[in-house]
Formats: sequence, structure tokens, C-alpha cells
Amino acid sequence: MTIRSFDLLQPRSLAEAITLLVQHGEDARAIGGGTTLIILMKQRALQYRYLVDLQSIPGLNQISKEPEGVRIGALATHRSVELSPVIREALPVVAEAFSRVGNVRVRQTASVGGNLAHADYRLDPPPALLILGAEISAMGPNGARKIPLKDFFRGMYETALEPGELLVDVKIPSMPAKSKAVYLRYSAMSANDWPCLGVAAMVTRENGRCKELRLALGGVAATPVLVNGLTFVKDQLLDEDVMQQILAVVDEQISPFSDLRGSEWYKRQMTQVFIRRAIAQLDSQLIEG
Amino acid sequence: MANLAIVGQSVYRTDANPKVTGRALHVGNIEMPGMLHVAVLRSPYPHARIRHIDKSRAEALAGVAVVLTGAEIAKMPAVDAHFGPAFRDQPILAVEKVCYAGDPVVAVAAVDKRLAEDALQLVEVDYEPLPAVFDVLEAVTPESALVHEQHRPAKAFADLAHVQAGRQSNICYHFKLRTGDVERAFAEADRVFEDTFSSPAAQHVPMEPHVTLVYLDEHERLNVWTASQSPSYVRTELSATFGIPMNRIRVRVPYLGGGYGAKLYAKLEPLVTILALITKKPVRYALTREEEFLTITKHKVVTRIQTAIKDGTVTARKCEVYWDTGAYAEIGPRIGHKSGYTSAGPYRIPNVCIDSYCVYTNRVPAGAFRGFGVPQVIWAYDSQTDMIARAIGADPVEFRLKPALDEGEPFATGTIVRSFGIKEAIREAAQAIEWSKPRAAPSGTKSRGKGIAAGVKAVLTPSISGAIVILNADGTANVLSSTVEMGQGSETTMGQIVAEELGISLEQVHIVQPDTDATPYDTITAGSRSTYHMGNAARSAAAKIKAELCEVVAARLEVAADDLVAGKGRIFVRGMEERGMTVGEIFLAKFGSLGTTLAAEAVCQPAASHMDPETGQSEKCTEYWFPSATAAEVEVDTETGQVKVLQLVSVGDTGTSINPRHCEQQLLGAALTHLGLTLFEEMVFDEGQLVNGSLLDYQIASFKDMPESVRPIVVQVPHEDGPFGAKGAGETGALTVAPAIANAIEDAVGVRICDLPITAEKILRALTDKEGTAVSIGSTTS
Repeated sequence: MTIRSFDLLQPRSLAEAITLLVQHGEDARAIGGGTTLIILMKQRALQYRYLVDLQSIPGLNQISKEPEGVRIGALATHRSVELSPVIREALPVVAEAFSRVGNVRVRQTASVGGNLAHADYRLDPPPALLILGAEISAMGPNGARKIPLKDFFRGMYETALEPGELLVDVKIPSMPAKSKAVYLRYSAMSANDWPCLGVAAMVTRENGRCKELRLALGGVAATPVLVNGLTFVKDQLLDEDVMQQILAVVDEQISPFSDLRGSEWYKRQMTQVFIRRAIAQLDSQLIEG
Repeated sequence: MANLAIVGQSVYRTDANPKVTGRALHVGNIEMPGMLHVAVLRSPYPHARIRHIDKSRAEALAGVAVVLTGAEIAKMPAVDAHFGPAFRDQPILAVEKVCYAGDPVVAVAAVDKRLAEDALQLVEVDYEPLPAVFDVLEAVTPESALVHEQHRPAKAFADLAHVQAGRQSNICYHFKLRTGDVERAFAEADRVFEDTFSSPAAQHVPMEPHVTLVYLDEHERLNVWTASQSPSYVRTELSATFGIPMNRIRVRVPYLGGGYGAKLYAKLEPLVTILALITKKPVRYALTREEEFLTITKHKVVTRIQTAIKDGTVTARKCEVYWDTGAYAEIGPRIGHKSGYTSAGPYRIPNVCIDSYCVYTNRVPAGAFRGFGVPQVIWAYDSQTDMIARAIGADPVEFRLKPALDEGEPFATGTIVRSFGIKEAIREAAQAIEWSKPRAAPSGTKSRGKGIAAGVKAVLTPSISGAIVILNADGTANVLSSTVEMGQGSETTMGQIVAEELGISLEQVHIVQPDTDATPYDTITAGSRSTYHMGNAARSAAAKIKAELCEVVAARLEVAADDLVAGKGRIFVRGMEERGMTVGEIFLAKFGSLGTTLAAEAVCQPAASHMDPETGQSEKCTEYWFPSATAAEVEVDTETGQVKVLQLVSVGDTGTSINPRHCEQQLLGAALTHLGLTLFEEMVFDEGQLVNGSLLDYQIASFKDMPESVRPIVVQVPHEDGPFGAKGAGETGALTVAPAIANAIEDAVGVRICDLPITAEKILRALTDKEGTAVSIGSTTS
């Protein structure tokens, strides 16, 4: 299939890009790595007269260590996140989640900003970023603003970004002391397939007990889900009683729908299995560590 | 084998180098000056009447050469608007109505592909939706919507001569087999087992999607470059459809980028031909991957199977097989027939009743798929065989071995089997997987199990292959054959056969690629038939040349021709290599010149005897058989239902191997394709709309899905009439994978899945149902 002809606009700055997007309104769309947008345009499911090429703006692909975390530019590729020494050291769960997307050819091209702005409910990175409390910087016709990632996903393929507004970077805070995080992806069919679901978990320990548990899931609702209401685990041992309570809380907050990768019933079952596995894995790591 | 120089050697493929270096020619690489590109508008409705098409805006677009509809084709004198190998039921473009979502409706040829697709967006079609049928069991009921109001047999193939014009029904073909007294055997049985099995539609996913290029040459002859497994048939079909003499049609097929049955018979060729005839320009149509999914599929099949057991033995079997052939019959009737008659299995069962129905539905047409329907029927009978063995406390391997047919016994059709290594295959499979050893104890959430499956396919009979061998004065040879090299290694195999017969080296043989101007007729490159049929034809043609050479040498050296042999590029007296002549010397002796060639043609045409239409009995229903067995060891995660295949052993009786490594590769390639088909591949439809028609959503097995260990075992039971004893190997590895894995899963966790694919969810659901409660999620591995 072919793409209808379009003009590729190459702004040299964010401000210029925003101006172009505002000027052309619904006729224009920003393009990062293009791995999803181009497929949809080839299928002629989406058609734009103008594509605003964010790759032509210098500096948007930086990955930098900051005093309280790591900042990843919107145009950094999945592959660069996966291989970044900074991220592998400080936030290995982020490197792991990005390494699970698509295949190496896709990851070499697909951008971090594109991944988040696409807001697909089953992508691997969002759950990992959600448990770490990531925050998005956006820039639009009305200036710059910060959006916590947990408020960013509004629906299937819908985000908090306003027309003409661009995702500039994502800031990920450092992990708390004595904490470990893990991302488990489960593909129910071919190992190469989209995940049936993904579970990210972070456990912080203090004096041999749980200080904090964070859980986030992909694939089990129209958006990635950051689980609320887990504060009751503070100062608890993660024993079977507590586990049952955790699973009950999670089950209330997910709303999986049946698709090619599993029925609602199956996704609820697998959510429980993989939350157990994620927590068990972290628990043993923390005990060993 | 005694005294063979190159047959039986695992030489490397002659096509490997051009392929891995990217120099092999494929149709998609051919560009011609002024070439037009095609885009096709497809029906969004599974069944609808076409009320009106407005194409005026598309026609007005600069660069668009033609915008064509089926109604226009139907008005063309001397053009048959419909084609098809069993029934002429498939329109080149939809005429009056569409029969599936994806049915081609309007075609555009334009100077580039984008423009052609732009033009399609300007075409407006007004449809009136009609009642549709999507389920094969519903389609056979009298209340069902009718897909076609009339059936038109095609008469293109001898083995389909009995296909008849049907009544007002979606059943386009019904095969019957009756032997013994089935009712009585069931009445007298100790136990009766009745089960229903299904396997879904799936796609072949060849690396190279369909592509066809057609142009008229300087003599206005039709030239067709096409990615096809059946160049001879394409010429016949185009001649019949357009009324063009056969010698004015030239069909060429370069290296094919995989076929697996998807590229048989006619596909894009009639449409591209008509566009080339209208525009007088070269026209190429290359399917997108998404269109590939809307063009041809593996048959969805539902099989009801009943088996009577008396004193621990199978005494009777009743099979009802329903083939969902989709909107157009394609080759469905042949599949319903050839696979239908094998659907009780390779066993000694005195009473058998088979009804095999080929049924239209409003879904994507189904056709040949590696195994030609036999994997679907083995899925049913071998799964049930295993279930019965377990139910009556018999060892599943012994339960198969005991009634497995021996050489000289009659198959269910009454045909005496020969070269039938089914027992050898079962034994090899059982041994390879250490069947009799105790199973490993479950570890955490993981349980292991082993499974064996066995089955047999019969080769398409009758069919025809012709070959011409041309010997050059320098001792090299050209072989003219319409067998398509599609990755199966035919070029190397034919080269080995001809080299052996003429006593020359493989490098001295060149296989000419299919070109109907030069290469003789061949039925199809499919069905594991080429090594036997084309191999025999090429060998016989080479033998004729050798006989001519020997005649000259015999006269010159005053020896008996029978005492002469070919080897090392010479003809010499057996045991006395120095007493002989080179090809050059023979040519000089015979022709007084080196500027000539020696050519010979041969045809291999095995016959079948008449099959009784009421009982399916035939003295000879097939030329040869492909016994297959697969052994699998699996590990099932009882919390998720996920299956990991640890070991997969594919065993096939291929006859004598011309090239043992090729046979092993064929067994493994077929088995690994069917691994994906067993565990996750399925074309999912919602009210006739394909839901997962792209490689984003339809996954085939990849390296990441491979078992920890895969192993081919070639059983060689020579066939008395095969070239050097060979049969074929292309499909054997495909036949028994699915039941072997299902049987291993039951062995591991005690649940039986009867509907392919065996997804993790189906297993977890079955485990949950078995426990009567939610599966214990408490037992984490930590």
C-alpha cells in the first residue's frame, strides 16, 4: 500500500513546529519515528496533507542524568533507551520495558515520545514509567506545562495533549532507596506478538517489611493502569493474606476487554498470576539484596 | 544404494548462492518501460448485490489508464468472466454481487501504485447487503443463505471430471466412502467414542506475496511473468478464459518466494491479463500482505468422528468432514475428495463410513495449504485415537501400531498399500522421544508430557509431468521442466537425478525455469509430487539419451549396449573405465560434428482406477503414500496454560532420499510451520470481516517460538516405481504435528483440546473446568 502524497515540513525549533501544527490544524500531524503513523497512513486509515518532522529539531533525542532522576527527550529511540548506560544503571526496569517493544528494527526507529503519545493500551513502557512516577513536559501554543504520566492517558489512543501541543521529554525520578522494580510481559501466543498484558511492580522495603508497593499494568483496560489504594501494605509482610487484598484491589481497577490475545476472563486471571510472580521476584531480590 | 555417484548425496542447493546474495530473479523485481500498476477496490460486505458503481471521478484522474468493473468484463465477447479449477465460479471482478468481504470489485491500472490507490478512493459503489452465512455447519442447513445460485463445473483436471453441477445448496461437493457394515459394528461395540474436532482458517504467509506481470510482445502474444506454482495450468486457464490459442500465451515463473499451496491454479493472472489487453501496456499487480490474507486461506474444517471399539480394537469408524471452502470453491472439491478418503486413518478398520462435504460460505476462499487438507483430518482421527487409547487403558503407541496397515493390505478405499512405512515411522518417533521412559515429575507450576501422532497422505493421482533433456556436445545438459523451484530444492533434486542417469556432474546440469514456450506440461508443483513425477520424467528422458549414446559406443567398441554404463562424463564398459568414449567423441562418431544436441522427452503419468461414487472403492486410488509420525514433548505452565514445546521429532517415509539433507529440511520446515498453526495461528472473523488480516495481528512461528530441540528422521521405504526409489517429502512433516502436541498436552496435564489452535487460554479454561473451581493461583514458583 502507498501513502497519499503529503508535504514534509521540517521545523528547526519546537516553537516553529507548534506554529505549523496550529496553522494547519487537522491537516497536519507531528511525526517522530513514524513506526505506527506510517503504517496507518499506508493503510490510508489516516491521511494528512502535512507531516511536521520532529526529527529535524535539534536536541530532542537526549538522555540525561539529572540530580533527581533521568530525563529522556521525546525523540530518543527505544533502542537508545534500552542501551543507555545511564538508564541501565539507574532505572534498569525502564531499559527492560523498552527492550520488549516490537523488534530491534522497530526499536531503532520508534521514539519514546511517539510511544507515549500514541497511547496504545498494551505498550510495554507506560507501566514501567507509571510505577516510577514519570512526568511529561509538554509545549504548546499556550506555553510549557508538566503533566504527571498518570494523568496523561485519557482513553484508547487519547492523551492529555491539546491541539498543537507536543510532548518534549519525560522525566523519571530516581528509585527510592531499598527498592526494586520489575516489568513482566506476557505474550500468550507467539513470543513475538503484542503482549496479552504487562505488569510493572516496585517494592520498597524497610526493616524487613514492605514500605511501599506500586503496581501498573498494560493491556487490561483502555489505558495503562496505575493501581491506586495500595498504601495498606505499608509495614506489612507480603504474605498470602496481604496478597489476596492486593489482588482484590487490582481486580477492581482493571477493565480488560476480550481481544485476539485473550478474553476478559483470561486477562483477569493472568493479571493475578503475573502480579504474584512480579512481587515474588522482587521479594526474593530484596531479601537477597 | 549400490553404485550411485550423486543420488543419495546431501549436496548443497544450487539455488542457495543466488538467493543469499540477492541475485535471484523474482517477478517483483522485473520492471518494464511504461509499466502500469494495479490497485483493487474490495468489497466491505460479506454478501451484497452491487446496485451501482460510479467510477467517473477515478477515470478523470490524470495517469489512470483504466478503471474496470466486473459488469464490463461480463459484456466482453469471447471472455469468460469467471474462472476456477473445479468450478468456474470466481469472477475476475465481482459481477452483480460480492460473496465475501475482500472480494475484488473494481480494478485500476495507473502509471504508479499511489495514483492507482488514489483513484480507488474516488470510486463509489452502492451495495445492497444480502443475508450471509459464515459458519460451515449452518451453511449445510436448508435455511441457510445461498452463496451461489448455480454451480458450473470447470473440467480442467482429469481427477475432477466427476464434479457435478449442484442443486440449490451450499454443498458444492460430497465425497462418500462405504465399506463393511458400519451400523452393525456400532451396534455390537463395547464402547463408542464420538467427538468433534475443528481447525480454523489460516494463511500461508509466503515471504513473497502474489505478483503477476503481463504484457503483449511484438507479435501481440500474451507474455505472463507470474509467481505461480502451476505455470502450465495458468496457460490453460488464460486460454480458456480469453479464447487465446495456447501457443500465443507464454507463462514464465522464475524463482518463487515460497508457495505452500497459496500460489496454485489461477489467482491474479486473469485480471492482469485483461488489464494488459485493454491498455496494451505492461501491467503488474503485486498484492500487499493485507490483500494476501483476503485472497486464499487454509480450509477451516469441522470433523465429527465416531469410533466403535470391540475387545480393545477399532471395529468401525464414521467420519463427517465439513470443509469451509469460502466464497469460491477453488480447489476445495479436490481437497474434500483426496483428503476425505483418508479421514479414517492408516488403520485396519473393517467398517468405515465417510462423508466429506465441500461447502460454500461468505468467507475468504480456501484452497491448497501444505498437506492439502490432510493435517485437518489427521487432527481429528489421531487426536481421537489417542483419547480412545487413554480411555481404554491401552498404550497409545501400541494402540496405533497394532492396527497400522502392513504392505499389501487394503486401505479404506480398497486400494492395496505399498511402500507404506507407517509402522517404522511410529516406532522411530516413539524411540526418539523415549516414549517408554517414565515421565518427569511436575516442578512448581510446570508439568511435562509426551505425545505421538501418526497419519498418512496419498499423492494426487492421476497427474502428469513432462520433461525434456537436451545433451550438449561438451557433456553438459539442459533440463526443460515446468516444476517451480519455490524453496523446496527441486532444482537440485532434478539436477541430481539427471546427473546420475547421464553419468555427469551436478554442475553440468542446468535446469531451465518454467517457460510454457519451452518446458512441457506439468500438473502442479505441489502435493509432494515433483520428485516422483518430474523426477521420473527427467530420469526417463535422460535414460533415452543415454541409450542413444550407448548404441553409438556399442557399435564403435563392438560391445553389447547392456554392458555399458555412464559415469564421469563418459560411457564405458562396466568395470573397465578405460574402455569407453566421452560425449564429445560419441557426438563426433554419431553426427560428425560437435555443433549439435541430443534431445529426448518423457512423460510420467500414473493412472488411478475408477472410484465408485457411492462407496469410494477403487482398485488404485493413488500412486503412493506419505506415512508420517511426530513425537512431541511439552511443558505446560498450569497457572497460565502456556505450552512450551521442548522436543519435536518429525518422522517421514519419503522413499529413498535423492538428497537426505533436503528431506530432513522439508520435514522440519513443514513441522515448524505447523507448530504455529497448532499453537496460535487462526484467521479470526467477525460477521465475515477478517479481524487480524495483517502481520501486526496474525503471527506465524518465529525463531523465538522454536522448540528447544527439533529433529527430523527420514524413514526410507523405497518405492518400486519412484526415481531411484524416491517418493516425496514436501508435506509429510506437516501432517501430524497438531495431534502430537495435543496428545502431549493431555499426557502432561490431563486436558484435551479439540479445537485448534491450542492457545494458552483454552488450556487454562480446560484446567479450570476440570478442577471445578478457579485454578489455584496460590502456588507461585518462588
